[in-house]
Amino acid sequence: MSRPLSRRNFLRRFVMSNGEIASANKGNVMVCIFLRGGADTLNMLAPYADDRYYKARPTLAIPKPKSTQTPDGCLLDLDGFYGLHPKLAPLHPIFLENRLAFVQAVGSDNTSGSHFDAQDQMEHGEAYLKPMGGGWLGRHLHSGDHRDQTRSPLSAVAIGSVIPESLRGAPSASAIDALDDIKLKGSEETCCALSKSLQCMYGAEIGILNQPGQSTLKLLDRMHNLGTKPYNPSGGAEYPRTSFGKGLKEIARLVKSEVGLEVACVDLGGWDTHFVQGSLTGLHADNLDYLAKGMAAFDKDLGNFRDRVTTLVMTEFGRRIYENGSLGTDHGRGFAMMLIGNRIKGGQVHGRYPGLESTQTDVLGPGGMSVRIDYRSILAEVLTGVLGNRNIDKVFPGFEPQPLGLISSRITT
Amino acid sequence: MKVARRRILQASGIIAGALPLVGCEGVISNVADGLENPIPDETLVSSNKQIDQDFHLLSRATFGPRPGDLAYLKETGKAAWLKEQLHPESIDDRVGNLRSRRFETLELEAGDCCEFKREVLRRDLCRHALLKAVYSKRQLFEVMVSFWSDHLNINIEKGDCMYYKAAGDRLVIRKHALGKFQDLIRASATSPAMLVYLDGDQNKKEKPEDIPNENYARELLELHTMGVHGGYTQHDVFEVARCLTGWRVHDKFQRGGVFFEPKWHDDGEKKVLGHVISAHGGQSDIDKVVELACRHPATAQHIATKLVRHFVADKPPSKLVTSVAKTFSHTDGDIKECLIALFNSKEFDDYRGSKIKRPFQFIASALRATAADTHAHDPLIDYLTKMGQAPFQYPTPDGYPDRGEAWVATLLWRWNFALALIGNDVPSVKVSIEKLARSTGALKGETADPNKLMAHFLGRLPNENEKRALNIYVAQKSGKQQSQNLSQKLSQTTLAKARTDSGLVSVMLASPAFQRC
Repeated sequence: MSRPLSRRNFLRRFVMSNGEIASANKGNVMVCIFLRGGADTLNMLAPYADDRYYKARPTLAIPKPKSTQTPDGCLLDLDGFYGLHPKLAPLHPIFLENRLAFVQAVGSDNTSGSHFDAQDQMEHGEAYLKPMGGGWLGRHLHSGDHRDQTRSPLSAVAIGSVIPESLRGAPSASAIDALDDIKLKGSEETCCALSKSLQCMYGAEIGILNQPGQSTLKLLDRMHNLGTKPYNPSGGAEYPRTSFGKGLKEIARLVKSEVGLEVACVDLGGWDTHFVQGSLTGLHADNLDYLAKGMAAFDKDLGNFRDRVTTLVMTEFGRRIYENGSLGTDHGRGFAMMLIGNRIKGGQVHGRYPGLESTQTDVLGPGGMSVRIDYRSILAEVLTGVLGNRNIDKVFPGFEPQPLGLISSRITT
Repeated sequence: MKVARRRILQASGIIAGALPLVGCEGVISNVADGLENPIPDETLVSSNKQIDQDFHLLSRATFGPRPGDLAYLKETGKAAWLKEQLHPESIDDRVGNLRSRRFETLELEAGDCCEFKREVLRRDLCRHALLKAVYSKRQLFEVMVSFWSDHLNINIEKGDCMYYKAAGDRLVIRKHALGKFQDLIRASATSPAMLVYLDGDQNKKEKPEDIPNENYARELLELHTMGVHGGYTQHDVFEVARCLTGWRVHDKFQRGGVFFEPKWHDDGEKKVLGHVISAHGGQSDIDKVVELACRHPATAQHIATKLVRHFVADKPPSKLVTSVAKTFSHTDGDIKECLIALFNSKEFDDYRGSKIKRPFQFIASALRATAADTHAHDPLIDYLTKMGQAPFQYPTPDGYPDRGEAWVATLLWRWNFALALIGNDVPSVKVSIEKLARSTGALKGETADPNKLMAHFLGRLPNENEKRALNIYVAQKSGKQQSQNLSQKLSQTTLAKARTDSGLVSVMLASPAFQRC
């Protein structure tokens, strides 16, 4: 860390030491939503103008748009070619405001067809069978502009009880359900004595308990000073009462309380729809409903903070083009990534449509939409264009990102 | 341990006398304590600086030592103790059975569980699992039950799995936990819970254009047997799925009953892992597939890796994996033999205190070490849920992770559990720290020696830093800043009070060393 201080860094430190809010606190936040299980892009962003879509999915396909106004039992037209599943209607206005973009035919080179292998690879930001150590967000936090600053214990937060692989190796990461839960429960003096004693033990720990122990103690301290006020979402935002909805609400709360949040991760599971996944309604449609209502509420709640928050929605792979014998879909390949934010060039579907050419019994790898864009290109573009990371080679060593023009010039840093 | 006839009579006397007076659970606690004193008059604790070798075995092969366990193992000797644990039927488990037997849903046929509400079934399954882990004397068996429950994970929240899991727990997991691997996989393959969980019951070739549902086929190869890089191809997955078409679960009459539907079976020729499975095999296809997968060398390697990761180290030493895999292959997947090879290895002894306890094990080991009295009601189970390890509720088929990294974000809840448990603030759980302190010699008359209690929890004496940490707590609680000559500056009574403060025991259970095993 003997890197000479640039003038900007010097100024930033100067500002910090004078008790101002550190620039990291004023910085941008990236929210990563991971749809676990392989979400079915073809029934979210349906290529209704391609007849093969309806042939491959006789029972699952969503009917063509009837009018652009009401999503009544049919797709919502986006651009004359793609239509949005009606359960994603809450996100349509954001698309129309050019703040929501899709990138089509994204994926990794993973051909294992395994959820776990494909998720791990994607969260690690690796190429297939080339393990790298740590997660892509972990490496970003180590290599970004603010890497030398003392980080807030709330710089990287995952909703739930597990730190996701993408945050592996982050300088500090916390898994939380709700901010209100972050406290020791006992008499003031016992808790105080306990913390001091634990500081002594976890501080001396060598191995994987040291950092989480110290982060947890710092977090307790921070929350103790912050106090807990009840949180009321702005703009009349109503989050769904699911753990996903509650998670997004906590993230909005963290953003607005300016506690140094840089990246937040939240999962939505249940996308492994091999069996009777449904069409306009059913299993898959319910998931879309949770997703859309949660994200729309989050967007509304952010209000003036929208300039700072960029949300990515990804999954480990798409599903097959054709439906299986039990009215579901098996594991496929390419999918569409979703991006939301004032800094995103939205209102369009980026990436060329790959077609639905895949053969019926694909024996070389799971059949699905082909992958045209390596997922890392998108992550890299967002890290650079939105979070100002100039060291992408440290995040994805040996990978040459392909720029896609996803960043809007509406806001300048 | 033999129970004298008089003790049993005494115990039944307690039942007869106490039933009308206290709740049923109080009676069970009394009877169980009558059968065997949960805290012996004297508890042997380690006096080594390094983790005691026998304590280490207890930390890994059981859900953590109870007071008295260390002395028993030392008396019996490792070989005889292991032999006993590997033959659970030889162990008198009256206490364990008494504490965990009040769940009629655990004894029912798959279909009969449908009569019960889902909440009841979920609660019974969770309570049963935790009570067995805490009180059963057949500890290694219970540890293996938990291991296979993750290996063949079923999320009870999916579909009818809630109704079928109890039967699966009994007839798949418990029946084969220490048996032959292939029998375990074969039983799992046609258990109603697995057929529902991984859509096997929807995998059909009814019409010529039907495409098989690959869900179970893939996980059978990837997770249950060969491992993701075990050498099978995507075509193998497809062919295995064809072999497995036609197995169904009755969902109306005889609900939960499994049957083979020839009309749904793809009866053509298949080629799996290089072997031809000839046409018209019907329901014998599944036996061939299970055999091919279980006998594949990649399976020996995969299962050995998982066992070594579970019992030895997150990064499994490859020499030991190879040797356990060899045992697996030579004995045709004899689980007992694999465990003997594993526990008798040098590597096992070398990796002391290096694994992170998963939340379930953390809670079970704390309850065991403190000889807590509990019937595992919701407030206790809620801690597991908060820490992300509620039994049988992991959403995806890979089961709860077995690497420490996945669980280190749960420290705050562990600390809060330590505070609540020792403060007797978890409803339905009771501990008697004073009794434990006297039994371990940590409390003699008015003199307190917290190091002895710490040694009981850690299997070794606290190191200098841990002693300092305990002193910091004592100093803070007695209202004085810590100083070099702590004992001189504080009055004896304040100090004694702080030293016997039960909160000090919370510090021990919240310490990094107690998170490890």
